[in-house]
Amino acid sequence: MDECPPITVRLAVDRTDMNLTAGENIGFYTPGQEVSSQTGFMRGHGTYVDEEETLRASVAGVLEKVNKLISVRPLKTRYQGEIGDVVVGRITELQQKRWKVDTNSKMDSVLLLSSVNLPGGELRRRSAEDEQTMRRYLQEGDLICAEVQSTFADGSLSLHTRVLKYGKLSQGIMLKVSPALIKRKKTHFHNLANGAILILGNNGYVWIGANTQEKDQSEGGFTQDLSRVALQDREICARLRNCILILAECNILLTDTSVTYAYEESMKYTPSELLQSEAIIDVALLTQQRLSQF
Amino acid sequence: MADIPLSLAEKTFILHGVDANFRNDGRIRNEYRAMELETKLMPQTNGSARIRLGNTDVLVGVKVEVDTPFPDNPFEGKLEFFVDCSANATPAFEGKGGDSLATEISNTLALAYQSPHAINLKTLSILPHQQCWKIYVDILILQCGGNLFDAVSIAVKAALYSTEIPKVTAATLDGGKPDIQLSDDPYDCIKLDAKNFPVLVTLCKIGDNCVVDPSSEEETCSSASIVLSTLPDGRFTSVVKMGHGSLQPTTLIKTLEIGKLVGIKLNASVMESLKKEDALGTNRPIFGFLR
Amino acid sequence: MPVDQRRINGPEVTIPYNIYFDSNAKQTETRKTLPKKRTDGRDSTELRKIFVKTGIVSQAKGSAYIEMGKTKVVCSVFDPREIPNKTGYSLQGELFCEFKFSPFSCLKRKIHQQDSEEKEYSIILQRALESAVCRHEFPNFQVDVYALVLDNGGSSLAAAIMASSLALSDASVPMFGLVTAVTAGIYQDRFYLDLTEEEEVICSKAPDESTSSRNYGIVIQANLPQHGQISEFFHVGSMDLANMKPTVEAITTACKELCPVMQQCLVKSVLKALKRKENMEKEDQ
Repeated sequence: MDECPPITVRLAVDRTDMNLTAGENIGFYTPGQEVSSQTGFMRGHGTYVDEEETLRASVAGVLEKVNKLISVRPLKTRYQGEIGDVVVGRITELQQKRWKVDTNSKMDSVLLLSSVNLPGGELRRRSAEDEQTMRRYLQEGDLICAEVQSTFADGSLSLHTRVLKYGKLSQGIMLKVSPALIKRKKTHFHNLANGAILILGNNGYVWIGANTQEKDQSEGGFTQDLSRVALQDREICARLRNCILILAECNILLTDTSVTYAYEESMKYTPSELLQSEAIIDVALLTQQRLSQF
Repeated sequence: MADIPLSLAEKTFILHGVDANFRNDGRIRNEYRAMELETKLMPQTNGSARIRLGNTDVLVGVKVEVDTPFPDNPFEGKLEFFVDCSANATPAFEGKGGDSLATEISNTLALAYQSPHAINLKTLSILPHQQCWKIYVDILILQCGGNLFDAVSIAVKAALYSTEIPKVTAATLDGGKPDIQLSDDPYDCIKLDAKNFPVLVTLCKIGDNCVVDPSSEEETCSSASIVLSTLPDGRFTSVVKMGHGSLQPTTLIKTLEIGKLVGIKLNASVMESLKKEDALGTNRPIFGFLR
Repeated sequence: MPVDQRRINGPEVTIPYNIYFDSNAKQTETRKTLPKKRTDGRDSTELRKIFVKTGIVSQAKGSAYIEMGKTKVVCSVFDPREIPNKTGYSLQGELFCEFKFSPFSCLKRKIHQQDSEEKEYSIILQRALESAVCRHEFPNFQVDVYALVLDNGGSSLAAAIMASSLALSDASVPMFGLVTAVTAGIYQDRFYLDLTEEEEVICSKAPDESTSSRNYGIVIQANLPQHGQISEFFHVGSMDLANMKPTVEAITTACKELCPVMQQCLVKSVLKALKRKENMEKEDQ
């Protein structure tokens, strides 16, 4: 095991240009820029009215117009939860009868003890014993996949994992991308053709699940399969990870189609070569071309 | 390092991956991420360098000043390292948060450069017992993406390589007081002999194997890591074990062997790139933080 | 290292007088190279005689005193207490170690505050002990370990590590095993174990350019001999890998030999405590 691959140290003069061609002219506004001077528009998020009654943008972002409502959606924001969203989160804290979950939003979301399925799948009242043994179900650092049940008045979210497809996530890789790159779709769980599981959380947390042997879901999603993952599955996960990072770096929307295209275009490189900037630009451009064919 | 919380399943995945010699991002155990190096990007310093290794971003500035030598080392100059973990990197570094990490890095650098085989401080003497050059190496950590020691040491080597010390045209003792005259010409300077400067190589022990250039997630999974300071000819100037785990003696020897190979390769690649950059001449475009 | 400006520092920087010695005079001839035979007549792998005793600091929960040749180190351990300034839950306890040379212990006077070398040694001490202590038995607490060197006759860090491990067991802190440590010095392909102060100074300086081998350095290694694990490894100098291997093996063997000495001392102190308890019960009756 003593082989040492060559180490490349690049110089800044050889830096490749990461700016891909921007799309057509989109309505892009900077803070303070005038959006509209006509009255009769309702102002939404990201805008404000100054003394002369003109509507100006307060964040840097893209214009969104719905009938009479004008709002400016910023490019990089914290995740704003909506009811029904699928999110991937990490447990940060255990409190009485609930867990605090980090979901890349302004405040930690809440997962109540009554919103989870207890192991064994029984439906029973939560006892005082359950409270003490909360740590046995979910610990700090665990990753879960959940749905947003409701929002509190201060903007924080309440999650639930009552459906069997949600629950603790097992072996795999978790990535963080900007929430703006993930569009709201009908389904966020994708079983890709190559066998891996891809969960695109609305909050920008993406989960690549390795293909493990056991598919037993009867335990209510709390058991973890810690058996060894085969090398081919590992390679698939690594390639997917690098592809998603490429798409995120070049600001291409993440959907299962774009990820699949990027995966196919990247087959000519080995997974570790995808970390070099030439490969990144190559794969990103090819994916963009294929996507724009539609 | 700032610890990223990971679940047990993720840690197991990483552990098994290292065992199978296939890491999370597709690299094998002994593979480095792509790195980019640039020197002489800051005009106010005597030497500077910036390195980007994966998500890690480190900026180094070197300034030289005239100082009196230590009384017990009158023929030698001085070299001092200072590391600043900027709050830019993570909010955890704000205020005193990054201090312990910063002292650890600067101590390790000081150990690496203490040997005269690495740097000969006698070349920094102007007037023995009276005046010498003191080199201040200031390191700024802008982004923390794992493997800080290696990135910092490569940037320090590059910055010292590019350091230009003004030439002393006259140095005499004028009635007991030293009198020094430096050359006016900004291009008339001497460069340090960088061919023996060491590089730190971090080897993280994950499970039964050790991994080169760990990412932040891999660092969280390891119980112990060894930081070696290797000279270009394969000798070690310092070996420090970090982390709260223990190793078997055979693992230690194996780790040292791998570290030696990697260190020699890394030193060679860095010197090659630095020479290439030098060959572009003084008119090469400086990119710095643009693009 | 930036100095703490808020504390009032002592008087102006003074200079030890021995730098003014005439280096050519016969009486003050300092050795430049490692002599073939050690001045105290030991073999290259022979350790100095050790004296250890526990329970010498009455106020501390556990304490130990070790003497190796001229090196004298005292170590005290205090009860687990709450970690100050810490929020959040952690599954493991912490060890807080402080290593200090007393001002009169070395050839050059040390100031009362910890300088950077002592801070570094404190971190090494902490790492050497961390793998031996069962940290999961006291989560969210920290155990304080203070080591003070009374006289530095060489290998003081290794002595401090052993004294701390004894003090921890005297304080009934749960441990996986005892920690033993040895300092080795290499100079031009020869290595000596358990260095004296003089040998340490020689091994920290590079040999002349004219000599064949340019190796020199000091290696401090802490072992858990009962498990065959190395808990801390620290090397400063400039060495070939080929020289490291035999040094590591020699130190590992020497550490194993030290283990019975420490165990005997602990057994003695336990027996003494039991006897004291017996006598007290007899008096009560």
